[in-house]
Amino acid sequence: MSAEPITYERAVERLEEIIRRLDSNQAGLRETLDLCREGKGLIEFAAGELDAVGKGLEELRLDELIARLEGAGAAAE
Amino acid sequence: MQEPSVPIEERGQRAGVPGYPGPFAVGRYAAKLRDRVREFAPVCVIGEVTGSRIGRGPNVYFELRDGDGALPCAMWRTDFDKLGLSEEEFRDGVEVVAAGSCDYYPGSASASPKFAFRVQDMRLAGEGDLLARLARLRRQLGSEGLFEPQKALARPRLPRRIGVVTAEGSAARRDFLAGLERRSWRGTIVWGYAPVQDRRAAGAIAAAIRELAAVGQVDTIVVTRGGGSIADLWAFCDETLCRTVALTPVPVISAVGHDVDRTLIDDVAAVCCSTPTHAAETAVGIDCSLASDRLASAAAHLDTRARAAVVSRARDLARTSRAPRDHLDRHRVKLHQFTREMRASARRGRATRAEYQRRIAASVIERKLEAAGAATDREAAKLGGRAAFLERAESSLLEREAAALAARATALGSHDPERALDRGYALLLDGEGEPLGGVDAVRKARRFDIRVSDGTLPAQVRESGGADER
Repeated sequence: MSAEPITYERAVERLEEIIRRLDSNQAGLRETLDLCREGKGLIEFAAGELDAVGKGLEELRLDELIARLEGAGAAAE
Repeated sequence: MQEPSVPIEERGQRAGVPGYPGPFAVGRYAAKLRDRVREFAPVCVIGEVTGSRIGRGPNVYFELRDGDGALPCAMWRTDFDKLGLSEEEFRDGVEVVAAGSCDYYPGSASASPKFAFRVQDMRLAGEGDLLARLARLRRQLGSEGLFEPQKALARPRLPRRIGVVTAEGSAARRDFLAGLERRSWRGTIVWGYAPVQDRRAAGAIAAAIRELAAVGQVDTIVVTRGGGSIADLWAFCDETLCRTVALTPVPVISAVGHDVDRTLIDDVAAVCCSTPTHAAETAVGIDCSLASDRLASAAAHLDTRARAAVVSRARDLARTSRAPRDHLDRHRVKLHQFTREMRASARRGRATRAEYQRRIAASVIERKLEAAGAATDREAAKLGGRAAFLERAESSLLEREAAALAARATALGSHDPERALDRGYALLLDGEGEPLGGVDAVRKARRFDIRVSDGTLPAQVRESGGADER
């Protein structure tokens, strides 16, 4: 993969590429194992992203978020 | 208009005026009048604003006039604020279309009655002008390239946090949440509540967008409200708001009004949606539940593929690894067969060659023997000739040698000293038997032998003074 930061979209796109490549039956054993290893990493990342937006809706008012960030900043100092 | 049901005179209080019913109590008559006035159908009227008074009270008062007359108007302040008209826009002389119905305030003992056209909604009559202003502003922002920056931003399909600018408690808020639920998205929403339809709306919306972007915690910002007239939605055509949106580094999704409404914020935003629900589905580009299922399926697929690849290659390898052995076995069998055949062939070959060589050798030997016999015969003949020749040569040579020897004996005899002794000569010999050739040799020897033909006599030199030598 390229050096650009990984995103959910890029991970899914790359995963689809990997599956297409594997389904083509043109990959050798070493490439197949490498692709499967890379695919599993991408799946873990994408699953993490989905988990982050699947635990439960959190609603904040803008002023609450700002107060929370300011509180976190003060605690860090 | 119906008169009040019980005239005063019927209650025996006062006499009326002949020809006129009544007298009626004015308050009740006024109330009846109010009711009757309110029965007038709601209409739109158009006219120029004059005498506008926007104070702190609950009503905004103004008059609408044209060349034929005037109508006193009143509008609840809350309704007026929703229009979002600035003081510059709502000023004396502007033409407006006011929608409402007739109303009459019957007054009281201390308050004057008042008739007014109760305005419930209103827009600038020159909405064409408003649209023309909108078109001009759209051209200007477009020429400055402000429609592009938002569209160039990367918009995540699965944002973790979404900032939403809308009116608190609005239907748009409810619809947006319903849209998120349809996507099974349960991340974090940061609400930037702001009025969406009054003079303060544009500034408040812009401030909310700026703050949401500034906190750096939201991946996407959605600005939404329900439908309305262009006047209702005018806050979303505000130049400052639109410039703010265009330069915001976080992608902004606009969902203002309905399909037919096209506000200026729709042009500068990253994406323009028709409804709050559509905005939610655009902000979260995937169905999270479906995506989870697909991900699980992809994981299983990968696992199957990996296992199948290994098993398949292992089978190939096993087959491949057996191939050389099978190949060798086949060749070994062949080689054994060849070896047996070669040995048999060699045996046959050797016998054949031995017989052949034996025959050849016999033939050659026979020919050689014959040739050797012939050669021997020839050589024997030659030798016989040569022997005869040699015999002849030998006898001849012997004869010649005998003759030569006789000649030489004759010659030798002529030189033999013995023959001289026979003739009376003597030979002086030293002790060694060597002849003494002269006087000096004799003197030197002193003693010597004298050999004569018939024997030898010893002799010695006798020295005498002056004696002659003998």
